[in-house]
Amino acid sequence: MRIRGKSISSTVATIVGAILVLFLTSCEHAGFQSTLNPKSTQAAEIAFLWWVMLGVFTVVLLAVTLLVAAAVLRRYDGKPGELTEPQKRNMVLIGGVIIPVVVIFVFVIYSVSVGRYTASVPHDAPITIEIVGHQWWWDVRYRVTGRPLNVRTANEIHVPVGVPVRFVLESRDVIHSFWMPNFQGKTDLIPGRRNFTWVTATEPGVFRGQCAEFCGLQHAKMAFVVVASPEDEFYAWLERQAQPARAPVTAAQIRGREVFETTSCTLCHTIRGTQALAEVAPDLTHIGSRQTLAAGSLPNTRGHLAGWLANPQQIKPGSRMPNLYLKNDELDALIEYLSSLE
Amino acid sequence: MENPERETINAPEHNRFYSAEEVEDVAELDRTWASPPGILGWFMTVNHTNIGRRYVVTAFTFFLIAGVLGLLMRTQLMQPEMKLLNPDLYNQIFTMHGITMMFLFAVPVMEGLATYIVPLMLGTRDMAFPRLNAFGYYVYLLGGITLYVALFMGLAPDAGWFNYPPLSNQEFSPGMRVDIYAMLITFIEIAALVAAVELIVTIFKQRAPGMSLNRMPLFVWSILVTAFMIIFAMPVVMVASMFLAFDRNVGTHFYEALSPAGQGPLLWQHLFWFFGHPEVYIIFIPALGMISSIVTTFARRPVYGYTALVLSIVGTGFLGFALWVHHMYTTGLPQLGLSFFTAASAMIAIPAGVQIFCWIATLWGGRPQFKTPLLFVLGFFFIFVLGGLTGVMIASVPFDAQVHDTYFIVAHFHYVLIGGAVFPLFGGLYYWFPKFAGRMLSETAGKWSFALMFIGFNVSFFPMHNLGLMGMPRRVYTYIEGLGWNDLNLMATVGAYVLAVGILISLINVIYSALYGRESGPNPWDADTLEWACPSPPPNYNFSPMPAVDGLHPMWDMKERGERPIVTGVRTDMRQVLTTTLMDARPHALSNLARPSIAPLLLTGAVGLGFIGFLFSIYWLILSFFLAFFAIVYWNYPRHDERTPPWQKEGENGD
Amino acid sequence: MGIRADEVPFVRAYDVRHLSHFNYHDEAPMWWGFWGIILIETTVFATLIASYYYLNLSYPEIPPAGVKKPDLLLGTISSLVLLSSSYPMHKADSASEKGDITTLKWGLLVCIALASLFLVLKVYEYSQVEYRWDSHAYGSILWGIVIFHSVHVTSLVLKTIFISYLAWRGFFNKERHLGVTINGIYWHFVVLVWVPLYLVLYWSPRLF
Ligand code: HEA
Ligand code: HEA
Ligand code: CUA
Ligand SMILES: [Cu+2]
Repeated sequence: MRIRGKSISSTVATIVGAILVLFLTSCEHAGFQSTLNPKSTQAAEIAFLWWVMLGVFTVVLLAVTLLVAAAVLRRYDGKPGELTEPQKRNMVLIGGVIIPVVVIFVFVIYSVSVGRYTASVPHDAPITIEIVGHQWWWDVRYRVTGRPLNVRTANEIHVPVGVPVRFVLESRDVIHSFWMPNFQGKTDLIPGRRNFTWVTATEPGVFRGQCAEFCGLQHAKMAFVVVASPEDEFYAWLERQAQPARAPVTAAQIRGREVFETTSCTLCHTIRGTQALAEVAPDLTHIGSRQTLAAGSLPNTRGHLAGWLANPQQIKPGSRMPNLYLKNDELDALIEYLSSLE
Repeated sequence: MENPERETINAPEHNRFYSAEEVEDVAELDRTWASPPGILGWFMTVNHTNIGRRYVVTAFTFFLIAGVLGLLMRTQLMQPEMKLLNPDLYNQIFTMHGITMMFLFAVPVMEGLATYIVPLMLGTRDMAFPRLNAFGYYVYLLGGITLYVALFMGLAPDAGWFNYPPLSNQEFSPGMRVDIYAMLITFIEIAALVAAVELIVTIFKQRAPGMSLNRMPLFVWSILVTAFMIIFAMPVVMVASMFLAFDRNVGTHFYEALSPAGQGPLLWQHLFWFFGHPEVYIIFIPALGMISSIVTTFARRPVYGYTALVLSIVGTGFLGFALWVHHMYTTGLPQLGLSFFTAASAMIAIPAGVQIFCWIATLWGGRPQFKTPLLFVLGFFFIFVLGGLTGVMIASVPFDAQVHDTYFIVAHFHYVLIGGAVFPLFGGLYYWFPKFAGRMLSETAGKWSFALMFIGFNVSFFPMHNLGLMGMPRRVYTYIEGLGWNDLNLMATVGAYVLAVGILISLINVIYSALYGRESGPNPWDADTLEWACPSPPPNYNFSPMPAVDGLHPMWDMKERGERPIVTGVRTDMRQVLTTTLMDARPHALSNLARPSIAPLLLTGAVGLGFIGFLFSIYWLILSFFLAFFAIVYWNYPRHDERTPPWQKEGENGD
Repeated sequence: MGIRADEVPFVRAYDVRHLSHFNYHDEAPMWWGFWGIILIETTVFATLIASYYYLNLSYPEIPPAGVKKPDLLLGTISSLVLLSSSYPMHKADSASEKGDITTLKWGLLVCIALASLFLVLKVYEYSQVEYRWDSHAYGSILWGIVIFHSVHVTSLVLKTIFISYLAWRGFFNKERHLGVTINGIYWHFVVLVWVPLYLVLYWSPRLF
């Protein structure tokens, strides 16, 4: 059986076409958790590196594929199809040594220069965000030079636009990896070590990040929200977060706070301004202001909050949050209280 | 044709043509090399063709099982929030998929194929240590079966194939699952090491006279390099997993994160990847040898750039040990050091490029025959080069920081593993099947299988690049709606099923053709190397008479000259082979190989008891140490007839 | 279709009838096989040493503050005992090559005795150490290395007992002594590999 030349080269063309179409469409689709939609100077540099590599290597792939096709599909109607010995040698030398050496040389220099920028964490940056990874949520604290704030939140990270922000990354249990695709490459959180990364956001918006190192049962549901906002909004948000929890107003809210303080919630959670000061689980002082529940897995609506409180093990099996077996009225009051904590 | 070696020939009448009967008593040979009958005999068999075939069949079985696990994962990921697999099961499944593919399929299948083919290519009758060979196989089989028993008991490892502590420590992975990983990885690597030593010694010492190193087929070169890589890589993962087992069971602190700089967890990563990176080349390099064989045969000409290919294979082997940190770019190691690994990783493109272009030069003008094996090699070119190029991309530290541990990486390594190893392996299967079975595989079915596998593979794994770039981490059992991942995941799943159908066609083809295929004769492809000189399937003794060699392409030379050089004087009443010198393969000595024995099985039992028993108590390990000692004594205990060999009693002079 | 292999006539290229099938050194696959095993073991020991230094990177000094260094005197004595056993092994091996079976028999026994003495000394030495493998990372790797090497010496002793049993039974002679040679190579290896380990464990904490 002979395969005809045309069909092979048209196959090649189709494949290459498909490659480009796929990447370009995914660029279009690219959303709020995508490296192809960079929203920081760091991610932009890396995205550019990617497009350059994609271009150059597509050419290499195309060249090799066409050469293979040419080699096997040449017609041999009496014409000598042979390459001469020096021609073969030159082919191996140019294709296998010279071109790769040149490409690699440029590639390494370019890559190292991008890498030096993305890794040059400014240790004197005014804003430091300390992140501690836990199975399976993110503990987030803010340190701002010149402002004695005590802000602790969870699974939500706010950064100002146009200002470099430094991150300090630690873990208390297993290895996690902190990744905000639209902003910066990932950095691991390793118990016993401290790692650093940094971000300079370029545009406001709401994005998503996710744990990238396999960390056990709920690795898939260890996400977080990233909010980039103009500097003044950022500071305003920070001031709000620094306040203790809002006092309950309605009867239901008061009842909810009572439920919170008398059940096992206080063993793990903090609500500043109440007796709950444990740090094993996310800080709930301003839970009502957060966009998601269960580490970026559910939108923060009353319905989802109810579902979560009623049966966290069903939503996130294996989560460290136990089922509480609350009575219906207790549950309602608790929801009332927690949603009020803006 | 000029042949300087002819001078070394010490037979006065070497120009005479012999008939087979004149040279050797074939009936006696057959008796000498036959395996004992019966069930017990099955367990005593040591012949390399039998062991090699068992290896290949077992490894392909594991491939199918792990492939089905892959399909399960793909089905779970077909849509957001699917409920087919719960997270606990998913984690066991992706871990078992990775472990099976890497430890129970890819490495053993290459070693098994080598066990079968290499002695034939070298023109010898068996490998240097036949009993060790059988031992290796039983260890591998027992290890593999135990892992799957564990899976069905819900006790399969679930911390990924690289099993990072602290997640894999007692505290975060209580129970037996990770112990099973640690003990069985160590156990199974014993088989790999045994095969490696065996292959090296066979290649060094048992080449047909005249097969100097520069006349060794490229497949043999690739296996030699692979075997050396195994020797330097596998012990490291064994030490690493024993440390882990001790941490978990006797309270040592190797991987603990107590220390201020967190050395423990990173120690594992360094050790694992110091093994893990060479591991991927251990899988890939034998494929280079297969491709060289297939290209040579179907282009009907010597491969272009033999020396360049040998050097590039050896170079890949060396360089492969200097890359491991590229799996650890995001752990926060100093940038300067990382840059070194970027450069080293990218440099691998040079030997890879040399290989690719040598084959293209060989194919060029060679009027290639489009048989199925060659089609798989052509598929290899596209898939592997694509995967290799994404490999160079992720050698970049900043870019890797974005795509590390995402589906971009999953795409990269399936491109190189499937393109670089599975496709050539299928090519090799279609190529050597006539030798195994004496029958041809169906070409039509082969071409269908190839087409479906090629299309299915690309449809399945290409979109994963995009998924990774669009933020999808690997090892997630599900994902939420609204991230723009749905279509691409669906596409990947559909592709995986198409790929599976392609594989299924080959599976049916193999079974059907083994029974009803057209008879192949000894050399159906008119190939050049010695394995095609013996009948298909090879008899127990492989060759009678034993071949000699005076070129790189013995089969073509012999056709051209109309004569076939042979070796005479090897005994037929015992399992005797010729050993030759290391560099230029001059006859050196005769070597009497071990006969069939139950000892390998006993030793496997003794060692296996220790490794599996350790899951319950460390004392089993100690008991097993002594049991193994007795098994080894039994294994080596001189038999009476070896002490006073019968031929000496008959008055012949033994030496 | 290719030409059938069995249609091409044979021409004798080599006759090997005269070659020996008693092999001693590099003729013997077994000899090469043992080098393979030694290569594997070397990789294992190298990994252990690398891990030792890597784990100790996190301490400002080796061993960590407050932990006693291994006892130099006892360690040195036992090392000398072990090293000295290479000599009788060498004697026994070369005697067997000459067919001097008496020296072989007694040489092997001396080796067994020296290696056993080494093991006894090691057990004594480490029973004096006040931390164990589960005390800290330093303890883990120290004990790990020592136990691993001692297991090797134990298996060496067992193997040599078997060889010397064969020797006393009169199995070995001038031609047939590959077993002794190979056992000897392995013996020298296990003895020699202790030298770097000894330097690493006993001297490097004192020198750096
Ligand atoms: C068969 C197996 C195989 C092979 C051959 C390769 C080949 C290569 N791999 Fe891959 N790799 C894996 C299997 C393999 N890999 C696996 C299994 C993993 C993941 C493990 C895990 O995390 O679970 C991995 C992960 C992996 C990583 C870590 C990614 C991460 O986790 O973040 C990196 C990073 O550098 C990398 C790089 C490379 C490079 C540079 C090559 C090079 O050898 C490629 C060289 C080839 C070419 C470049 C193409 C041919 C050359 C030419 C046509 C010449 C022209 C070329 C140029 C001009 C550049 N690989
Ligand atoms: C050689 C190695 C190899 C091979 C061939 C494959 C083959 C496949 N892999 Fe593999 N894969 C790995 C090595 C390999 N993989 C490794 C090392 C990992 C990482 C694990 C980890 O993270 O720890 C991984 C991870 C991995 C993931 C990521 C999981 C995750 O991170 O969550 C996925 C997901 O799609 C996947 C899918 C597949 C698929 C669909 C195939 C397909 O190509 C499979 C094709 C084969 C079949 C479908 C079988 C067909 C046969 C039949 C249908 C007949 C059945 C009949 C009988 C049994 C009688 N693999
Ligand atoms: Cu945390 Cu994955
Ligand atoms: Cu690698």
